[in-house]
Parts: sequence; C-alpha cells; structure tokens
Amino acid sequence: MNQVMNRDDFRTALEQAIQGRSANKSPFSIAWASGKLTRAHLARWAENHYHYVGPFADYLAYIYGRTPDTMTEAKDFLLANMYEEEIGGDRHTDLLIRFGEACGTTRARIEDPDNMSPTTRGLQSWCYAVAMREDPVVAVAGLVVGLESQVPSIYRKQTPTLREKYKFTDEEVEFFDLHIVSDEIHGERGYQIVLEHATTAELQQKCLRICEVGAQMRLLYTTALYRDYVEQDLSLAELGLEREAVAA
Amino acid sequence: MPKVRFEKLGEVHEGEVKDDTNLVVRAGIKQFPWPHLRYGCGMGKCSKCASRVIEGAEHLPPPNWKERKILGANLERGYRLVCQLWIHHDVALCQDSDEVWAATIKPPEESAA
Repeated sequence: MNQVMNRDDFRTALEQAIQGRSANKSPFSIAWASGKLTRAHLARWAENHYHYVGPFADYLAYIYGRTPDTMTEAKDFLLANMYEEEIGGDRHTDLLIRFGEACGTTRARIEDPDNMSPTTRGLQSWCYAVAMREDPVVAVAGLVVGLESQVPSIYRKQTPTLREKYKFTDEEVEFFDLHIVSDEIHGERGYQIVLEHATTAELQQKCLRICEVGAQMRLLYTTALYRDYVEQDLSLAELGLEREAVAA
Repeated sequence: MPKVRFEKLGEVHEGEVKDDTNLVVRAGIKQFPWPHLRYGCGMGKCSKCASRVIEGAEHLPPPNWKERKILGANLERGYRLVCQLWIHHDVALCQDSDEVWAATIKPPEESAA
C-alpha cells in the first residue's frame, strides 16, 4: 500500500516520472538540436505541432468545466492558462504559423488537419480523452505537468539552435521564445494544482502514472515525426543513435 | 538564494527566490512578488512588467531583442522587462504606477487598443 507523499517528495516523483521518457531523447529532437534538420522537415513539424498544441485551451476548458467550484484557485489557474494561450498577447498558434511560413509552408497547410500524421492525430485524441474522462486533478497532471511543463526545457535547448544553425530571425522564432516564459508559468500552475489537490495515495499514483503515459505519448509523437518525415533523409547512425535505443 | 527587493508606490517588498527564477513565473503562481508585480502577457510584448533596476544590473544578461524593441530608450534609463529575466543574483527593482507606465513605456499599439 502506497503512503501519501509530502509535497516535496511528490513533486520530485512527478519530475522523475516525466524525465524517464523525455521527448528530448527522441531522434527528431536530437536531429533538431544538432542542426541536422532541413526547413522542409521543420515545416512538417509545424504542420503537425499545430494540431497537438492548437486545441490546448480546448483541452483545459473540458477540465475547467469538470473541476468542482470549491477548487477556486485551481479553476482560476486553468482559466489564466487558457486566456494567456489565446488572447493574453499574440495568439500562440499564430506565432507557430509564422514559424511554419518561415520554413516554407503556409497557414492553409498548417491549419489543414489532413496534413497531420496518424500519430499526431492519436496524440490529439489522447489529450481530448484525458481532458474529458479523467479526474480533473489527474488530467492536469497528464496534460499540464506531463506535457506542457516539458516545453521550456525542450525549447531552451532548441531556440539558440534555430538562430545559430538554422539562421532564423528573432521574429521567426518568437513562438519558441514565448514558450520559455509562458509554459513555465503554465507548468508551475499545473504543479500547484496537482500538489494541492492530489491528497490521497491513490490519486498521487494516478497522477504519476498519467505523467509517465503523457511523456510516452510525446515521445511517441516526436519519434513518429522522425520516422514519417526525416528518416529517409537522415539515418539514426548519422545521429549517433542505434535502432534498439529508439523507443517504438 | 538571490534576495529580491521590489519597490512600488512607496512601499518596499522583499523576498528570497531560488536561483534561476523568473519573477513573472512566480507572480503567475501567486508567490512573491505577487500581488505587487504588475505583469501581462509574459511574452515580452505588453511591457506591463517593465521595472527599473536599482541594484544588481551588472549581474543581469544584456537586454534581448524583445527588450530592445519594446523598451528602446527606456533601457538607458535602467528599465528591463521582468518577464525576460531569470534571476541568479541579488537584485533591487522599482516598478512605476500604472499611470506613469502608461505615459512612458506602454507601447503605442496598446494605447490604441
């Protein structure tokens, strides 16, 4: 029987659950960070990523609607995340589209759901399913802690590369700049909600498990991006990776 | 742990933060310098978080492209966008009232909105 963890131990356990299968380790992310992708590869990424992150406020809205009104601060945090994602400043997806256009694709192609891979469609569907079906605290753990909070560490690594190796301008990569700040806020709010409201051993274990699954889903997504769009041009060997080391 | 002194409207608020802390992230989760720090978009655009660095400016990184674009000549007056700063050393900041901010720093497009 698992014991209830205190906040510090629970936070450490959540961070470990995420890091175990971090998307930073996928061949697509490694190729990106090492400057080996082409703008065409990055265009395909934008066409997929839009359909994963574009509905993020929608995912949160489902959770918001199912969160009891007694959890006022948690609801306020979710609402703030939704607002900032859409209308707090520039709409985040507009900045993603600006990046995609700099890579050679178009707004129409990015917004067209037929241009996402089946795996991206699966990730989007998983996000909707978690938002609609899981306990709201578990859903926050999966989507905000498990997925969104990973973004700053990924983009912090990738943004300098976009400027230095891929030669994008500051304006073209603003999507990545803003996420270092705003997703850090959003991820921290997610942690606060989960640490405050996952107060039983059972709920804590569910939160840890969904973080692991969320990290697996993101790794699956980025691994599929490599296989669908990059592998034909860039082998695992060229990335210094062995096939066995790459998650299925 | 870096010590932060935050001055606003004649009051001084002090606290300690972990190394590599963004104060807008802290305010976003209702921790010091919340509720005193005014902030908005968290993306270096609205300038609401702009504050004048009183002490510790030498430990901060040079202004990034967003700060140069939004703050312009106000950089020379010691202003920085707090949402673009990760704190590693002691720092003292002063934030203007809403009225002074609107008259001196607020971007023109914001005024027209």
